[in-house]
Amino acid sequence: MSKTPAMSATPHIFGVRHLSPTAAWHLRQFLDRIQPKLVLIEGSENANHLIPHIVSAKSKLPIAILAYTTDPPVRTFVYPLATYSPEYQALVWCEENKVKARFMDLPSSVFLGFMDRNRTAFPKKEEPKSETQKEPPGEKEEEGAEENEAKPRTFSIYERVAQLAGEPDYETYWERHFEQLRGENSYRNATRNFGEELRGMEDFSTRHGAETLVREAYMRRKLQQAYADGFKPEQIVVVTGAFHALALGPELAAMNDEEFARLPQRESKLTLMPYSFFKLSSQSGYGAGNHAPAYFEMVWNAYNDNTTTLLPARFLTSVAQELRSGGTFRSTAEVIDSVRLAGTMADLRNSLPTLRELQDAAVTLLGQGDPVVVRESLLRVEIGTRVGALAKGVSQTSIQDDFYRELSRLKLEPFKSGVKRDLDLDLRENRRVKSAEAAFLDLHRSSFLHRLSALEVPFGKKLNVRQEGTTWAERWALQWTPEAEIAIVEAVLLGETIELAVAYKFKQQLEKCTSITEASTIIRQACECGMSASIELARQTLQRLANDSSDFNALAAATYELGLVIRYGDVRQFEAEPLKPLLEQLFLEGALSLVANANCDLAAARSMVAGINELNKIALDYSALIDEPLWISELQKLARADHLSPILSGYACALLVERNLISNEELAREVSRRLSPGIPADLGAGWFEGLAQRNRYALLTRLSLWEQLDQYVKGLSEEEFRRALVFLRRAFGDFSPQEKRNITENLGEIWGVNAEHASEVLNAELTEKEKKKLDELSDFNFEEL
Amino acid sequence: MPKETSQELRQPAEILYAEELDALIKAEQHPVPAGWRMSPRSVLVYICGGKCGKLNITPKYIGHQRLVEIAISTLVTDRALLLIGEPGTAKSWLSEHLAAAINGDSTKVVQGTAGTTEEQIRYTWNYAMLIARGPSNESLIKSSIFRAMESGSIARFEEITRCASEVQDALISLLSEKRLSVPELVTEVPAQRGFSVVATANTRDRGVNDMSAALKRRFNIVVLPAPADLETEVSIVTKRVGELAINLQLRAEIPDEEAIIKIVTIFRELRAGQTLDGKNKVKTPSGVLSTAEAISLLANSMALSGNFGDGKVNDNDLASGLQGAVVKDDDKDVVVWKDYLANVMKKRGASWRGLYSACQEHAGE
Repeated sequence: MSKTPAMSATPHIFGVRHLSPTAAWHLRQFLDRIQPKLVLIEGSENANHLIPHIVSAKSKLPIAILAYTTDPPVRTFVYPLATYSPEYQALVWCEENKVKARFMDLPSSVFLGFMDRNRTAFPKKEEPKSETQKEPPGEKEEEGAEENEAKPRTFSIYERVAQLAGEPDYETYWERHFEQLRGENSYRNATRNFGEELRGMEDFSTRHGAETLVREAYMRRKLQQAYADGFKPEQIVVVTGAFHALALGPELAAMNDEEFARLPQRESKLTLMPYSFFKLSSQSGYGAGNHAPAYFEMVWNAYNDNTTTLLPARFLTSVAQELRSGGTFRSTAEVIDSVRLAGTMADLRNSLPTLRELQDAAVTLLGQGDPVVVRESLLRVEIGTRVGALAKGVSQTSIQDDFYRELSRLKLEPFKSGVKRDLDLDLRENRRVKSAEAAFLDLHRSSFLHRLSALEVPFGKKLNVRQEGTTWAERWALQWTPEAEIAIVEAVLLGETIELAVAYKFKQQLEKCTSITEASTIIRQACECGMSASIELARQTLQRLANDSSDFNALAAATYELGLVIRYGDVRQFEAEPLKPLLEQLFLEGALSLVANANCDLAAARSMVAGINELNKIALDYSALIDEPLWISELQKLARADHLSPILSGYACALLVERNLISNEELAREVSRRLSPGIPADLGAGWFEGLAQRNRYALLTRLSLWEQLDQYVKGLSEEEFRRALVFLRRAFGDFSPQEKRNITENLGEIWGVNAEHASEVLNAELTEKEKKKLDELSDFNFEEL
Repeated sequence: MPKETSQELRQPAEILYAEELDALIKAEQHPVPAGWRMSPRSVLVYICGGKCGKLNITPKYIGHQRLVEIAISTLVTDRALLLIGEPGTAKSWLSEHLAAAINGDSTKVVQGTAGTTEEQIRYTWNYAMLIARGPSNESLIKSSIFRAMESGSIARFEEITRCASEVQDALISLLSEKRLSVPELVTEVPAQRGFSVVATANTRDRGVNDMSAALKRRFNIVVLPAPADLETEVSIVTKRVGELAINLQLRAEIPDEEAIIKIVTIFRELRAGQTLDGKNKVKTPSGVLSTAEAISLLANSMALSGNFGDGKVNDNDLASGLQGAVVKDDDKDVVVWKDYLANVMKKRGASWRGLYSACQEHAGE
C-alpha cells in the first residue's frame, strides 16, 4: 500500500469506555476543540442509514441497534445506546454541527458470521439454551475493557487491578480513577494508557483475540477510505473503545478487498429497537460500566447542568424518597448525614464519592445498618425502570411497525413499560360504547396477546382467573422487555405482520403434526388468536388425521377440545359452524372405537374413564348435533359385555343409570349377575368399582343393591375375600365420610342393626384384635393380583 | 508485637500496640482531624494492617475492610457509631482499637448493664464532700462520657441495649446538643472537637431494651457479620490465640494449623446449620458459637495441656473444650452434638479420627 504523506499521519483518536458519562462529556469538549470534518465511530458500518433516526429528537433513549440474520438459524446481536454513551453524544454533536458521522466497524453480516462460526466450532461451551442467541456479541459492548466469557483469566486481571488499587471491586476502581477525571485531555490520555496496558496482557491467539485484530484491520480500512474521500487525518476524529485506540495508526496495514471477501458472512438486516435500563444493567459484561444506568444518567445530567457536587445529595435524596414512598420513613437529617458520610469515605481515598460510597452511606444511615431495607430503593435509583421509545415508523421491520400499530390501536401503549402490570379482560361485547371496534376492544386485545404468545414473544403472560370455567374473562400480566422486541424482530422470518407470522407458524406446526390431540390444540390456539383461516386449516388437518385414528383417548380429548372451541365461538365472535361437522365426525369415531378400546388392562382403563367422561359431556352438550343414540347403544354394549374391562363396564353402567336408561330391576339383575358367587373377585369387585365412580346418591338410595353386595361378600371364601377387598377398598376409597355413613346405615338396615350404633362402632378406635386382623391383611401380597 | 513485660492481666490496646501507634503517628502524612492523634487513613492501616515504613502493622480486624472504613468515616463526621452484631463478632474489640488509634485511650468505657444508671452516663457526686462543701467542681465525679466530652475524645459504651431505655435516653441530648448541663453548678460543659461515642449492641438482645428511634437516629449503624469464610476465620483465630498465649503466659505450644481449621470448621458448620460443602444439614445448638468462643476454646485447651498435660494440645484437650462450647445447658444441645459427631465428623476420614474418638468419649459421659 502506498502512503502519501498525509496518510502517514494519525487521525485524532479518542478511546472511550462504552456507556461512560465522563467519556461522553470529554468527547464533546474534544470535538468542540478539534472541530473535525468527519467523525468515525466504532459500530457496524452498515448502520449508517439509521443515524438520522438515532439522533432524532423523537427517539427516547435507551435504544439499541439490532442486527439479525434473514434466514434460520437466527442469530442476533444488539448495540445499545444510552444518552450518556460517548458514541451517541458523538452522533448528536455531528448532527448539531452539521458534520459527517459514519460507523466504521465490520458490517453486521460479518459479526453474525463470526457468531455462527463460533457456535459451530464450540457447540457445547457457547451454545446457550436456544438456537436464537439473544445476547449481543462481546465486541459490541465491552471495548474499554474487553470481556471474554471463555477466559476466566481476564476476569482476574481486572480484579487484581482493583485489589492493587485497594478498591472493593473493579467498577469502583474504574469510577474513581477514570470517571472522576475532569482535566482537559486527562480522560483521553488515561484510557489510552489503560488500553495499552490491556493490549499487553491480551492473548491474540484466541478466537476472540483474532477477531479483534480483524476488526481493527477493518477499521483501518475504513480510515483509508475516508482519506481517499478527501478527508485529511487531522480533520477526522475516531471514537472507539480504548482497547483499539493504539491500533488504528498508519503503521499497521489495513484490510484489503481480498481479505475482506474471505470473512464469514451471514445475510443480515438492521433495525432500531427501544431498550431498557434494566436490560442495560443485566447485560453488563465485565467492565462494560453500565451496571447502574439510572445512576450514570444522573451523573451525565449533573455534568450538563454543572452540578456534579450535588450528585451525592441528589442520589441519596432519591433513595430516601423511594424509601418513603414504600412506607419507610427516613428524615432529611439522615439524608444529610448520609451525604456527609459518603463524602468522608471518599476523602479517605482523595476522591469524590463513587456509587460504592453512596451505597454504603445509604445502607449505614437510610438502612440503619441493614442492607435489606434499602435494597429495592437503591435498585430503583441505580438501575431505574426506564424504557426507550422510537418515533412511529422508525423501526425497520414491518412486523415491529405492525406491533406498535396494534399496541396503539388496542390502547395497550401504557403497558409497554418495564414494570409488570396486570390487565383484566372481559371478552364479551361492551354494549355501552358506540363503535364495534370499542365494543370488542378486550376481545381484540386477547387475540393480540394470544398471538404474541403463539410467537413466543415474552410480553404477556396469561394468569389463572379466579372464576373457574368462565370463557369470557382473562387476566394477563404484561411487562415489556427488550427480549420481547428481539423476539418480534425474529418473527419477521415467519411473516410481515404479526397475524401473518402466527398464521405461518400454525401452518408449519400443522404440516408437521401427526396426532389429533396436537391438531385439536392448534385449533383451540387459533381460536384464541382469532385466526379463522388457521382454524380452517387446522380443521382440515384434524379431519384427515381423525379418519385414520382409532385411539379412543386421543379422539375423546380432541372432541372435548373442539367442543370447548365451539362453545367459545359466541364469545370469540367467530363462525363455529364449519367446525360442527368435524365435531360430529370426531364424536362418531370416538363412540365407535369405545368398545374396541375397552378391552384393556387396569391402567389403560383408568385413563379411558376420563375419555368416556369427556365424550359423555359432549354427548350431553351437543345432543342435537351428534349421534346420541349411537353413543348410548355403545355404552349399553360396553355395560353388558363380560369380556371387556370390568371397571369400564361398571362405569358405562353408571352412566346409563345416570341417564335413567336402566330400570331398578335391570340394575338389580345386573348387580346380582356381576356379583354372583364364583365370579373372580377382580371381575366382580372391579365392576363395582367402576359403577361406584358416578352418581353415588343414586346407588345409595337403592337398598337392594347393598343387599346384593352383602350377599356377595358373605359368599366369598377367605382367599377370595382378601382379593375382593382390594377392589372394594379402592371403590370406596374416595367416598366422603357422609357417604360412608350412608352406606353403613344401609348395611345396618339390612343387618337389622340400629343405624347410630353401627356408625358408632365403625368410628370407634380399633381393638387389639381388630388391629391384628388388619395387620394380617396388610401383609397380604397385593402384587399377586 | 505485643510486649510481654507487664503483669497486668489484660493491657489496653494502646499499651499493647504502642509501638505500632507511635510509628504511625511519626510517619503521618495526611491531615489529622481535630482531637485525633492520627489521620483516618492511618487509623485504617492500624486496624486493617499494612506497612508503616519498615514496621509491619498487624491487622487487628480481619475481613470486611469496607465496614472499618465506614466506621472511621462516621467518627470523622462527628456522628456517633453503633456497632451491632452477634456475640463474639469483635464489636468491642473493634471499638477498643478505634479509640486506641484515634485518642490513644480506650479506657473511657461505660459498661451497659441492667443496673446502669443515668449518673454513670452523666456525673455523680462525692457525697461526703458534697455535704461538707456543697456542690463544687471538686465534689463532682465525672463519668467516662463527661471526661470524653471535656477532652474531645472518644467514649465507649458497651452493650448499650442492656441498659434500661430511660438510661439510654440520657444519651440523646448529649449526642445532639453536644453539651452536658450541670444545673447544680449552673454551668454547661460543651463537648470539644473530637468527641464521639462508639456504642456496641448485641443482636441476640434485640427486643430486650430496644433502642428508641430517636436514639437510633443519632448513630451511624454498622452491622458486623461473622467472618465471611473459613480462611478469614482461621487467620483471625490463629492470630488471637498467638497473642493470648503470650499475654496469659500459657505454657503450651500453639495448636497446629490443622487443629485450628478443625475447630473453626466445626464452629462454622454448627453456626450455619450445614456442612461447609453444603451437602449435609446439621442441627444448630442454642449457643452462638462465635469466633471469640473458638479463640477462648483453643486458649483453654492450651491451658489444660500446659498445666496438666505435656504442653502440646492434643485431641483430648480440644474435645473437652468443644463439649463445653457446644453443649450449653440445654438437653437439646446434647442431641445436636451427638448427631453432629455421628453424621458428620465420623465420616470425615482418618485425619479426623482422633478428634472424633476423643469427642465421642466426652459426649458419652
